[in-house]
Amino acid sequence: MKNELQVGFIGNPNCGKTTLFNAYTGAKLKVANWPGVTVEKKEGAMKYHEHKFRLVDLPGIYSLTSYTMEEKLTRQYILENDVDVIIDIADASCLERNLYLTLQLIELGKPVVLALNMMDIVAERGMEIDLHRLPEMLGIPVIPVSARKKTGLDILMHAVAHHKTNELDVNISHHHNNKENMSHHVHNHHREYVVVYSDEIEDKIDAVSELLSEKYGEIWNLRWHAIKLLEQDEEIVNKYPLDISHIADRSYETDIINQKYDLIEEIIEEVVVNKSKKAHATDAVDKLLTNRYLGLPMFLGIMAIVFFLTFTVGDLLKGVFEYGIGWFSDTVLHLLKNIGASPIVISLIVDGIIAGVGGILTFLPNIFILFLALAILEDSGYMARVAYVMDSIMSKVGLSGRAFIPMLLGFGCSVPAVMASRALEDKKDRFKTILITPFMSCSARLPIYVLFSQMFFKEHAMLAAYSMYIIGLVTAIIIALVMNVSSKKSEMHTLLIELPEYKSPNARTIGIYVLDKVKDYLTKAGTTIFIASIGIWVIMNFGVHGLTKDISDSFAAGLGKLLVPVLAPAGLGLWQIGVALISGLAAKEIVVSSFSVLFGITNINSNAGMDNLVSILSHSGFTSLNAYSLMVFCLLYTPCIATIATIKRELQSRKWTAFVVFFQLVTAWVVATLVYQIGSIFL
Amino acid sequence: MTLVSGKIGNEYIVLEIRLEGNAKRRLEALGMTEGTKISILNNKKNGALVFKVRGTRLAIGKEIAESIAIKEVISV
Repeated sequence: MKNELQVGFIGNPNCGKTTLFNAYTGAKLKVANWPGVTVEKKEGAMKYHEHKFRLVDLPGIYSLTSYTMEEKLTRQYILENDVDVIIDIADASCLERNLYLTLQLIELGKPVVLALNMMDIVAERGMEIDLHRLPEMLGIPVIPVSARKKTGLDILMHAVAHHKTNELDVNISHHHNNKENMSHHVHNHHREYVVVYSDEIEDKIDAVSELLSEKYGEIWNLRWHAIKLLEQDEEIVNKYPLDISHIADRSYETDIINQKYDLIEEIIEEVVVNKSKKAHATDAVDKLLTNRYLGLPMFLGIMAIVFFLTFTVGDLLKGVFEYGIGWFSDTVLHLLKNIGASPIVISLIVDGIIAGVGGILTFLPNIFILFLALAILEDSGYMARVAYVMDSIMSKVGLSGRAFIPMLLGFGCSVPAVMASRALEDKKDRFKTILITPFMSCSARLPIYVLFSQMFFKEHAMLAAYSMYIIGLVTAIIIALVMNVSSKKSEMHTLLIELPEYKSPNARTIGIYVLDKVKDYLTKAGTTIFIASIGIWVIMNFGVHGLTKDISDSFAAGLGKLLVPVLAPAGLGLWQIGVALISGLAAKEIVVSSFSVLFGITNINSNAGMDNLVSILSHSGFTSLNAYSLMVFCLLYTPCIATIATIKRELQSRKWTAFVVFFQLVTAWVVATLVYQIGSIFL
Repeated sequence: MTLVSGKIGNEYIVLEIRLEGNAKRRLEALGMTEGTKISILNNKKNGALVFKVRGTRLAIGKEIAESIAIKEVISV
């Protein structure tokens, strides 16, 4: 006997499904505001009294057809896995649309419990939902919950535990304006099924059901399969080929959808009292944020504020970190000397590891604030608006406004950004988006801008750094534009996205998200950057003759010198820069730690360290123009190894991944060279 | 008329969705069926617009908006 109940969490995007799931499992998942982010299956386990549950979080979907990956995945899960009970989470403030999925789930025949989420918003709006009548009309238990306030959670699990048999504990009763009595259909289904169609369609369902069972014998939920055949559902038609042309000469999908919505209207009419009398706050906010003139400037303004905070507040905290790391470095140095460690070990630990990893840690405040801001924008519901606001610009370059979301995420980290391109349906769209997303300046590149803009641009540092984001954006747009012109005017790009209700960001959701990112960053500092720091230290301290005192005899110098002629036109003709750029492939922020190690500066982020580096660099003729060219090159060249791996996974092609890598390298070189050569004329 | 020529703040009834394939099904799943009442919340010069249907706010591009035939609800 199975002693564990398998429970599937299903609901529309933005209905609070993941928040509810988190409330039960405490899993570190994030809630996002656009469809398709929870593509992978998430599982958790919990106990409630004597019952054990296995909880599965399924992607947010609007319907159970087989047109999108998420819908297919969810349907297959319900049909093929032994899910015991489905929890259908509905946004009660938007019941009408949410009930469509509910009706489809009920029709599918597995036990369903409806969790009515966001009842607090319903109350705020002065609406009421008849919780006695709703279960009567749906024939399933209905439990009001609040995922955010964690209310109703126990009752919901109680209902799940007792509803596994799918025996209707409630009698379905509809009034249908007494239409029921006028039915000429041979059977009266109104006590049996929640959704009963017109006589015409019911007759056809019966006829198809008969043919189906004749040909295939016993099929679980014959009625559902018959309905799907009438809808000409691709998956079911392929699974159960059946000639029904004499019964249905066309797809009845639209009729079936319409009749489901007719029933929903009837339910809403009876169940919802005081339908949205109050004007929605969201509409008022949207009047400004999606305004045809103000939308775009407001978006750019919001992004400017985000970066302003990242720099000012972040830099304030950075000082504290620097102090701590400097103290740690000194203490270790002192300790090692006291125990009589050899100079080479001291050099490895202090100059290699602490300088490398420590240099990265000082940027933690900047990264933290950037992700915090992005998480707030995402959780509040603004991200979906960005797709609409940017649609006009994006469609000019042949991309849908939706493609802007991966690009925007690219400002945080290219890895999730490239993954988010999955939400695009068109394959060409996806490739284009993946190609240009890494040009969005990710947070790992920020340390490079911070360092070089502070060293060479002083009071204009913020402007210089902000311009990187603009250059990245413009480069991406130009490339998309060129691709769009070169390929013949492709099929239409369709923006179609739900704009969810604005909500005050949830501290827990944001906390989980930001901590996750910070942990990611720290892990990277502890692994990739740790190893890279050692690697760089080794190639810099060893040459063909073994250990070398003079860095210009090292392996690193040899490698860097090979790159000098290639990088010289871009004003980057120093072998140290070549080495730093190569090491940046492991992770872009390593460029900074490489600089500190290559030029032998331990406290690179302090004022003294910077002055030191500036004077060393200017001796080699490296001016602010070279610094700007370097920043541009770092912005555009091949992203880190983690991103390349993600691109390969998404494109499923080695050839195209290699193309992307090479393309970005060439782009970086061309743009940096242009910047340097044109700049040289004027300066 | 189509959705592109609709005015902000006005209510319309969907007459026909002249689209094929996925876009039509997605719209229908979101409650955009023929005969449904919608109201336009915002629009842009390029034809993209935000409207409300069955309590849901949707943003669509010009290509979709052009394919949706509507008629104005005359308020009494």
